[in-house]
Amino acid sequence: MSKPEHRVKGVDHAAFPTFDPVGTVRFYRDVLKFPVVHSICAAGWGPERHPDFIHFFFDIGNGDRIAFFYYFGFQPPGGAGGTGDAYATFTDDVPQFFINSRHLAIHVDDEQDLLEYRRRLDESHWPVEMQVMHETIESVYTHDPNGYLVEITRSLRPVTPQEDLDAALTVEALVDVASGPEPSMDKLLARKAELIVQRATGWEQEQERAGGAKEMTRP
Amino acid sequence: MSTLFVLDVPENVTIPQVAAQDPAVAVDRIGPYFRIASPTAIVIDRRATGCRHAVWYSAIAGLIDSRVTQHDKDALRVEDR
Repeated sequence: MSKPEHRVKGVDHAAFPTFDPVGTVRFYRDVLKFPVVHSICAAGWGPERHPDFIHFFFDIGNGDRIAFFYYFGFQPPGGAGGTGDAYATFTDDVPQFFINSRHLAIHVDDEQDLLEYRRRLDESHWPVEMQVMHETIESVYTHDPNGYLVEITRSLRPVTPQEDLDAALTVEALVDVASGPEPSMDKLLARKAELIVQRATGWEQEQERAGGAKEMTRP
Repeated sequence: MSTLFVLDVPENVTIPQVAAQDPAVAVDRIGPYFRIASPTAIVIDRRATGCRHAVWYSAIAGLIDSRVTQHDKDALRVEDR
């Protein structure tokens, strides 16, 4: 039997540098109660000058992991300014929406679990900074001891098939307008409307046929 | 003709309903999308839809020969380009 085209299985690990291993362990292990699941104590090696380092991992559920590098004796590289995180800093004129655009969102199953993680954070040195009801998810946010924005989120409902179609059309329209001059939301919505007219009716008929086929195969 | 598309998902269903309160507005469907069209401007009151902000500001799926001339916490207004 041939394997499917899409074979990947989620996040193995997402890795970040830290200059505050004590705060990092307190935040992920002691506050959030993420189990420590792996670590590497490595001597610097290779032709390039490389510091000794500890690479340590926390389980974030589903077998996925967040990992950190702590380099002995390595000071934070001189950054641009006073905002940002352990990886990069920015001058004050860089807007916060841009700095916060790169973040890790960790999934929980329901409101009870979201509120449990909110409680754990609120009782710590890193209380929740925002709780937001988005379109179809609800999230809490805080910054970890390294300045990394961490989101914990739950789905308000399952994603529907038409949202997958809509996402595909959005991305196709985005590629089209971003390939041309001066991309804008206005141009994207005009291009997406063309794609809706071309595809949406056929997609719905296909869904109905697939639904009908399922009906027929039901015992 | 002012024309916009809105995806048919539970959060959006009040948007075509409120738009259709204007007798000049016609609402039909293309696949899983509502097509909202009018020979004049389409004006939709956000509070009447009950949409929270995150839903409201991401509700437009497409525009045919039309442009958004207002999209704020009060209303969405779509007019001929």
